[in-house]
Amino acid sequence: MAPATHHIFGIRHHGPGSARSVRRALTALAPDLVLVEGPPEADAILSLLAHPELEPPIALLIYATERPDQAVFYPFARFSPEFQAITYALLHQIPVRCMDLPQFHQFALEKTGEAHSLADVSPILAPANDPLGALAHAAGYSDGERWWEELVEQRRDDAAIFSAVLEAMSALREDQPTPTDPHEAYREAWMRRTLRQAHREGFQRIAVVCGAWHAPALVSLDGARADDMLLKGLPKVKTAATLAPWTYGRLTFASGYGAGIASPGWYDHLWAMGEAAHDATAVTIQWMTRVAWLLRHHDLDASSAHVIEAVRLAEALAALREHPVPGLSELEEAARAVFCTGSDAPMRLIHQQLIVGERIGSIPDETPLVPLQQDLRQQQRRLRMKPTAERRLVELDLRKANHREQSALVRQLNLLGLAWAEPGEVTSTGTFRETWWLQWQPAFDVALIEAAIWGTTVRGAATARTLDRAGKSDVLSDLVSIVNKALFADLPDAISPLMDLLQRRATHTGDTGELMDALTSEDGQTRSSLVNSLRYGSVRELDTSLIAIVVDGMVTRICIGLSNVCTNVNDEAAATMSRRIAATNAAIGLLGQSAQREQWLTALAQLVHASHIHGLLAGQACRLLLDAERLSNDAAARFLSQALSSAQPPTAAAAWIEGLLQGSGMFIVHDEQLWHLIDTWLGTLTDESFQTIVPLLRRTFATFTRHERHLLGERIKQAPGARPLEASSQLDHTRAAAALARVQLIVTRR
Amino acid sequence: MTTLLREHAEQQYADELQALAAHDERQRPPRWRLSPWAVATYLLGGQLPDGTTITPKYIGSRRLIETAIATLATDRGLLLIGLPGTAKSWVAEHLAAAVSGDSTMLVQGTAGTSEESIRYGWNYARLLADGPSAAAIVASPLMRAMQEGKIARVEELTRIPAEVQDSLITILSEKTLPIPELGSEVQAVKGFNLIATANDRDRGVNELSSALKRRFNTVVLPLPDSLEQEVEIVQQRVTSLGRALELPGEPPALEEIRRIVTIFRELRAGMTADSRTSLKSPSGTLSTAEAISVVNSGMALAAHFGDGALRAGDVAAVLVGAVIKDPVQDRVAWLEYLETVVKEREGWKDLYRACRELA
Repeated sequence: MAPATHHIFGIRHHGPGSARSVRRALTALAPDLVLVEGPPEADAILSLLAHPELEPPIALLIYATERPDQAVFYPFARFSPEFQAITYALLHQIPVRCMDLPQFHQFALEKTGEAHSLADVSPILAPANDPLGALAHAAGYSDGERWWEELVEQRRDDAAIFSAVLEAMSALREDQPTPTDPHEAYREAWMRRTLRQAHREGFQRIAVVCGAWHAPALVSLDGARADDMLLKGLPKVKTAATLAPWTYGRLTFASGYGAGIASPGWYDHLWAMGEAAHDATAVTIQWMTRVAWLLRHHDLDASSAHVIEAVRLAEALAALREHPVPGLSELEEAARAVFCTGSDAPMRLIHQQLIVGERIGSIPDETPLVPLQQDLRQQQRRLRMKPTAERRLVELDLRKANHREQSALVRQLNLLGLAWAEPGEVTSTGTFRETWWLQWQPAFDVALIEAAIWGTTVRGAATARTLDRAGKSDVLSDLVSIVNKALFADLPDAISPLMDLLQRRATHTGDTGELMDALTSEDGQTRSSLVNSLRYGSVRELDTSLIAIVVDGMVTRICIGLSNVCTNVNDEAAATMSRRIAATNAAIGLLGQSAQREQWLTALAQLVHASHIHGLLAGQACRLLLDAERLSNDAAARFLSQALSSAQPPTAAAAWIEGLLQGSGMFIVHDEQLWHLIDTWLGTLTDESFQTIVPLLRRTFATFTRHERHLLGERIKQAPGARPLEASSQLDHTRAAAALARVQLIVTRR
Repeated sequence: MTTLLREHAEQQYADELQALAAHDERQRPPRWRLSPWAVATYLLGGQLPDGTTITPKYIGSRRLIETAIATLATDRGLLLIGLPGTAKSWVAEHLAAAVSGDSTMLVQGTAGTSEESIRYGWNYARLLADGPSAAAIVASPLMRAMQEGKIARVEELTRIPAEVQDSLITILSEKTLPIPELGSEVQAVKGFNLIATANDRDRGVNELSSALKRRFNTVVLPLPDSLEQEVEIVQQRVTSLGRALELPGEPPALEEIRRIVTIFRELRAGMTADSRTSLKSPSGTLSTAEAISVVNSGMALAAHFGDGALRAGDVAAVLVGAVIKDPVQDRVAWLEYLETVVKEREGWKDLYRACRELA
């Protein structure tokens, strides 16, 4: 019998070429044990990877059971060599194990060092872990995968490939056979230990699939004692493993993971090409054809002639750059030059749908609980909020810490699309009380699994999803509503990026009215406006300093743009604008910042002075300035006189008065000058114009309180020349009787 | 020194072209004066083995220039698109000079460009005397380029009326120019190709037909990537223009150029350089070329009416005119920028005051 050996396959993580070579090498070797670089905690769930319902991309998810936010994802696409090795073993019923340093040690080690969050790099994706890519670059290839293809192309013998890789890596690591980073040393020691164990168990042909960089460290298994010493006494925490669905988008750099691959869709294409991936022209032609199909599908011009030209240009570019075959960058640039004719949109489409790809994985039902579910259960226990199927009402007093957390939790779940709680009636006007109807539905568990993609804790997931939604909303008021929800749901990590977004949107909106709405309109769910949140946020202990900056910028922009949006508007728009001005005025009063008030009053003064401003708005501005004691009564009288002068059409004048007297008319009772002006103006009107403006004036005066109207009446009586209305002596008794009957009906009903 | 106001690229850089050709041992496409690699070096700059320095003609993405050269080598027409002032014509001229050693085969596109100026016209005296003959034909620059196997240029393609634009289609796809009057044609000699420039932002442009677009490979020339790059471009051009126009006064301080370029970049991008504050973008293009002209006019102001050194006051006068093209929208954008950015910025007080006075 031949002596037991292990065969090392040094691979490129997420490299389709490596995956193909590994698959072929495994078939040739027919091993009796497969070891892959991965967390041993996942051993128990590896069998799920061959489940018929499983569809890559997926991620192995290892998390600390005590602290679900301490978690690490090992994403696998179908072109990942590890995934291919594992499924090969499962298919052939060969035992398969993970051999990396277990996360129960890694988490514990990290705990002593820096904090580990979701956004951290999972070890498998660390950028320094692509030594093959580095070699490819050194060899003049723009793309590590194309280099691998050439390598395979030149030597069909896969075993030779892997020994070449091993040789190259040994040369690369010549300077540091043992890693200087202690963490790396632990990992490699653990891998060797796993290998020794496998030998002891009597396995004869062991296949080892690991990142190329580690290959040289696993050749010799000497030094067992040193490894054991190194690994002795490592700290430990409790961990659990599960699967989560993944997307190609999240495999990329842009997804927030510190590292990743830039072009999962391109790798997927290379994988799907199968053996034909060795033929450079075939790859280019297929790719360009897919580009053309995609563009055609979106009604963009893309003919076969385009494909031909794009292929030619890609090859010419590769030749000019002295690359043997066109890499992804050549394909991209050729596609840009031939298909896009100067527009960026098709290229974005190509990038999103082909280069990155939109494939979403799915996982079987038997998958263990995701940490998000566990986190929610933990919080429900801690806050004593039992999920029940019956509908019940809870009242929260936000001055209590526990209640505040309950409110935040249900709001976070709402943001995740789990409507466990619906807001109840508003019982009092106080800002510290709220009521919720709670009802748990079984469908929520499914929703939680789907939400697992956003994170491992309710708060983290709610933050991620909120930011995603905010990025997609292009209406300013929607964004404001999201901001309010995030504030109330206590998502501190979301606030800063949300504010950046809000600021950007606020800048780019050309519509000052929209800005005013954004500042003052109340969100349906939180019943709070941006200004309210800023002013009363302290009840919830919100950090509002960032909002203050953004609100400040919005106020400045409103003040600069105000006179533009009030110029040359029709009656309907003026009415809307008038409501906005009133709301903004109230908001600025609420904010109580003298600098903002100053800006605002200056902007209002412009409205009074400028021409072509709608009368309603000019009058309103005049009134607000009067109230703010920015305008003397004399000055106001001058403006009123201008507005009522005969050059102005009577309807404009009436609108001006409506603006001036909005809400209350008390002050004209006491100001002789203003009173006289209005009185004279009414006197000069012709019958016809009086008829036209009566409804307008009525609308104004009808808003006054009874008491005010009474005072106004009194004032009119005292006026010189006033005479009481003369009752007509000829009463029509029949008509009066009908009216009297109705009056009696009303009186008795009450 | 030459008395010409402006020399052609192949005249101005004759030495560099000669040195490149002398060292160029790579394969050249038919009738190319240089190999594609040497053309790339000519445009992007470099050092030759004998120590000759090739000055960079285009400061920016190497990949774009490579795409442009590869396109010319594949016999597809090259269409350079970009905002005004992104060096489209400049790149086209230098490409023609490097590939064919001749950048004069030029058709300038205008609203009045006729089919004759793209194809051929007639010498009417000859036509009347002898009837239609090859001798009576007045060849367009394009026709000559086809006969001689050179690069032809069409500037401002989108300004040419659509029906005249379409006369390029046969030339691009069949590489021939039929002369129905004589029953003959001019077939393009190897080495012929066409570079067209176009901008899609200006008013009064004619959209290219998709039939024509399909026959071009498009390269979009972007605005400069980084502040450093743009400052370098502005400084290089300002210095050489200042010399050519013999402006008196000191060359502007790097700091002042940097400030102007910063303002242009921030307004153009709608975002401050530290990406903390977003801004409204004015309607104008605010291209690098305009930044160059702001610095130049500022220098002229300073030299003739100021104390010779470029000061905030000189800059402000020109700057406001360059930014505010639309009296309403742009004014709002500019005021917002002044109040939210310029006012707060360390060391920009003088500029703020100077601009405020004008606004």
